Amino acid sequence: MLTGCRDYQLSRRAFMGASSATLLGMSVKGLLAASGKDHEAQAEHVILFWNGGGMSHIDTWDPKPGRPTGGDLSSIKTSAPGVEISEIFPGLADQMHHCALIRSIAGTQGDHGRATHHVQTSYLPFPNLVYPGMGSVVTHELPNLGELPAYISISGQAPRAGYLGQKCEAYYVSNPGDKDPYLAFPEGIAEVRGNKRLETLAKYNQRFTGNSTDSRLRATETSIEEAVTLMRSPALEAFEFSKVSPKTLDRYGKTPFGRGALLAKRLVEKGVRFVQVNRGGFDTHTANFPAMRDHGEIMDPALASLISDLAETGMLKKTLVIMLSEFGRTPRINKDAGRDHWASVFSCFLAGGGIKGGTVYGSSDEDGAEAKDQPVKVQDIHATICHALGINPNKDVMTPLARPMKLVDQGTPITGLFG
Amino acid sequence: MRPRLPSAVTVGFLVACSSLVSTASGSDLDRIIFQANESLSVGRRIEPTPVVDDSVFLRRVYVDLIGRIPTEAEVTDFATWPAEGRRQKLIDHLLKDDRFSDRWTIFFADMLRLRSGATGGAALIAYVHNAVKTGMPYDELSRRLISSNGKAGRVPEVGFVLGDDADPLAMASVTSQVFLGVHIGCAQCHDHPFDVWKRRDFYDMAAFYGKTRRYESQLTKIVYATEMDQTTILWPPEGVGPAADRKPIPAKFPFPIDESNETPGYIKRLSATRAAKIAAIPVVDKRPSVDDLLDSVSDKVAKATTGKLAEELALADSKRDIRKIDVQKGLYKPSELREQLAANVTDPRNKYFSRVLVNRVWKTLIGRGFVEPVDDFRADNKPVMPAALDYLAEEFVASDYDLRTLVRLIASSDAYQRGHAPANSDESTRVQLETQLLATPVRRMIAESLYDSVVTAGHLFEPKHSPGKNERTIRDIVRVPKGSKPGDVSKPINLAPQKGGAMTAMSRGDATAGESASGYGLEAAIELDFTSLLKEQGDEEEVALDEMKAVSKEELEAQRMMQQRMMRNSTEYEEKVVTRVVDDNPVFNSSLRMQSPAPEGHFLRVFGQPNRSDLGDLRDDSASMRQALMMLNGRLSHEAARVGDLEPIYPLMQGKSANLDEAVRLAYREILTRNPTAEELTDAKTIIAEGASALDGMADLRWILMNCNEFRFLP
Repeated sequence: MLTGCRDYQLSRRAFMGASSATLLGMSVKGLLAASGKDHEAQAEHVILFWNGGGMSHIDTWDPKPGRPTGGDLSSIKTSAPGVEISEIFPGLADQMHHCALIRSIAGTQGDHGRATHHVQTSYLPFPNLVYPGMGSVVTHELPNLGELPAYISISGQAPRAGYLGQKCEAYYVSNPGDKDPYLAFPEGIAEVRGNKRLETLAKYNQRFTGNSTDSRLRATETSIEEAVTLMRSPALEAFEFSKVSPKTLDRYGKTPFGRGALLAKRLVEKGVRFVQVNRGGFDTHTANFPAMRDHGEIMDPALASLISDLAETGMLKKTLVIMLSEFGRTPRINKDAGRDHWASVFSCFLAGGGIKGGTVYGSSDEDGAEAKDQPVKVQDIHATICHALGINPNKDVMTPLARPMKLVDQGTPITGLFG
Repeated sequence: MRPRLPSAVTVGFLVACSSLVSTASGSDLDRIIFQANESLSVGRRIEPTPVVDDSVFLRRVYVDLIGRIPTEAEVTDFATWPAEGRRQKLIDHLLKDDRFSDRWTIFFADMLRLRSGATGGAALIAYVHNAVKTGMPYDELSRRLISSNGKAGRVPEVGFVLGDDADPLAMASVTSQVFLGVHIGCAQCHDHPFDVWKRRDFYDMAAFYGKTRRYESQLTKIVYATEMDQTTILWPPEGVGPAADRKPIPAKFPFPIDESNETPGYIKRLSATRAAKIAAIPVVDKRPSVDDLLDSVSDKVAKATTGKLAEELALADSKRDIRKIDVQKGLYKPSELREQLAANVTDPRNKYFSRVLVNRVWKTLIGRGFVEPVDDFRADNKPVMPAALDYLAEEFVASDYDLRTLVRLIASSDAYQRGHAPANSDESTRVQLETQLLATPVRRMIAESLYDSVVTAGHLFEPKHSPGKNERTIRDIVRVPKGSKPGDVSKPINLAPQKGGAMTAMSRGDATAGESASGYGLEAAIELDFTSLLKEQGDEEEVALDEMKAVSKEELEAQRMMQQRMMRNSTEYEEKVVTRVVDDNPVFNSSLRMQSPAPEGHFLRVFGQPNRSDLGDLRDDSASMRQALMMLNGRLSHEAARVGDLEPIYPLMQGKSANLDEAVRLAYREILTRNPTAEELTDAKTIIAEGASALDGMADLRWILMNCNEFRFLP
């Protein structure tokens, strides 16, 4: 199961693109950001859980009990009337009245690299252009809130910012909950001494730059100022779990994923716009069912705690939580008790940000093989995220080679999800 | 802008500097630039920025040619050379330095998108390194990369095609953009919007790769690039018209080649250079070919006729050899189409080929290409000084595509040795000076040079603390897999970066328990051993191929159970507090030889090393907050700033021969390749005096100098 496939290991390799050396995103200032006139945008933040490898839809959000394709896992009732999900999510089942599911995503890509690109950027990979991921789009369109970086990727790689520019790249956190050594003076450098160093450094840099008109020198000084602001920000405490009660840590689960979910919650509370929490191991070509049980043990407490905590503080209204994977898995169970890649239909999980709790949008056929009611294009999900945040998905931005690109590749928001 | 003051140590050196300020190289390149300026209308003509002095030149040329700042010893040594001609002497000296090959391997690695983690990628980097080291002509290198087939790693060149999975459409884009600077990839889906390229041109180009396949053995996972009989490139493209109408198309080189009947002068000179080279080499190095192998087989068969027992043995031998040849001939079948493509691409009459390489080298040394972006040559994106570009391109061809000749030509020119536009000049004047090549743009060191320069300035290539002098007590909270014994705890913690163990902390997906102890993994360097990567490997695996058994179902299940257990264990952990004493004597390897590209978030990536995956993803030299954090709080700059007792500066700080003024001067020379001004000397002594100890104060000073703009931007 963890052996994965060749093309998955190569994922980012499968597509190529080009961008200018500068990566200076050029937004067309004159263009009006449409504010979604048909609906009052409620969401201000996004937490995206990225499940790499292609998560089985049948064994999670779209169970098919009693069908030959249903597999070993049974389905359970949830707090949302009439909505059933896989038994691997007993805790989350109690939170489903806050959550929604889309069960009719009709994907087109069955290769890990291409599908990942498609689901993360809304565009199909194409040479000569590096397409930005959703986190970069959101960061590009909405002003920063607070002092933390606007876009943070936890435990793994997020898509690049491409033509939206360096400012829209993700800030990486590799071990959620641990102190980031790069955000404090090195060990042995006391606060007073460190501050004095910074003060003198600023003086030396000013002397060197003088009255130069060269923006490159100034840019370095600005970057140092930004770094120091961040280092001194009280919001930094969100990164560290030393003061978090053991009970809370237990509730989310003592796993990197649990810590990632908890960190995501703490970050959006400090104003971070977009948090991506990454996790792999879903490419279950062999022994799918025990693997999915294990995944459930890890994901369920984290997701359930996150949704209930966000709901309790009211943050859920302002935070769109979404769990995505590049595709689903075959309804047919293969000879190794695994499931293979399946893009024709798959599901996603959403909560908050104005989404009507307890909604199930669309459906797959009785075996989970094709989209049946209300089929959804992959790009529609991106348009829906934009819609929730009040971003116009059809807005054009210019690439460095002066080619206008839409924020989302022809997606239509799924307005039926919103209350 | 740049304060200078003679000191006791380098008086002679600095006096010599001033006498050289107005020296002109008198090269053809500079004549072309001069004439271009003269040909402007009087009002638009501008005064060139003077050539920089020796100390500035020294720093610049060291960083550009060998990827680090000069050491005190090198500065002092240079100062003893006769002023006349010593710049040229230094350039020639650096061109022979081992680090020149390391630094310029980075150049090719960026351009060719070499990734040590890709199939055959590490061997390919080692191969390119060897090509730079031995001065392999660039056209030959390119031909080998474009046309080779074979097994990944065993035939290092094949890593280039395998890097893009030998996909014909991808390789059409790659070949055009990397070697010829044309974004023909735009024409994959539509006629190029800003250029002459048609969709058909793209497919004509792709057809050269149409029969190439990536082949992976299901059993051994060995990967090959090989040649099939059928092409996959059909016209019209998918989705245009009925599928039945799609037919294979012949390969056709879409780029114009100089068709003039007269042999251009530079090609005559190329022929002469090649003839001279061949004359100079008595024996031509040759790899054993399939023919050689066949010869040896018939040898063995011939010998076998002499005796029965011997005959049997020889026959068994021969059979094995023949089988080997069969396997090899199928898999190593050369690609005639790609040999033809390589010949077209590297044809001396194909001006794209030489111009694009010259443009990339120029960008690397000057900071701005004749054409920008460097790989975007098209009719409406003209070079800023075409005559200079053409001159260099022809010289490059005439030198038999020799990188060192090209670098020497540029580094020796006034154009390279000029200062930046005066600090107070307005934006338009600055831009004009820079585009007319009369001033050099301000540029930051590339990531690798910055890293290695910090290591050099901080004496971190070798241990700088005596054993036991740098003991530290460290208290860590570590997460360990549940149920591990107490003895296991300290094992995964690796504070010393020399082995680069913490590097994996950046690996994708779930973080592995235990890695969290030192979060400083973002500056570690794992070195690649180029020599062992190029060692000839045996062919036995091919022969043994069919003897290998498939993995049984039971084994598969066992594997799965094992992985399952590992997954459970690694995601369940407990926290422990560990205290330990370490004798911390950090040593950093050169970043030029490390696995590349570095993981996302690593020092090198943060400072603009490209991911080398996306085509046309060039180096980004813009500033970012992440860079600031890396240099302000990172372990590298911290350790570099601290004073070790084995450093030359140490005896100047305390004891009998203490001399604080001299210590400050040495710090300035080691870090900024210059002496401090009187004002700077006073300031520095204040900083040192305010430290908890003089050594702490010196560490503060050095930290500031390594963090300041003057350090990372080339003078």
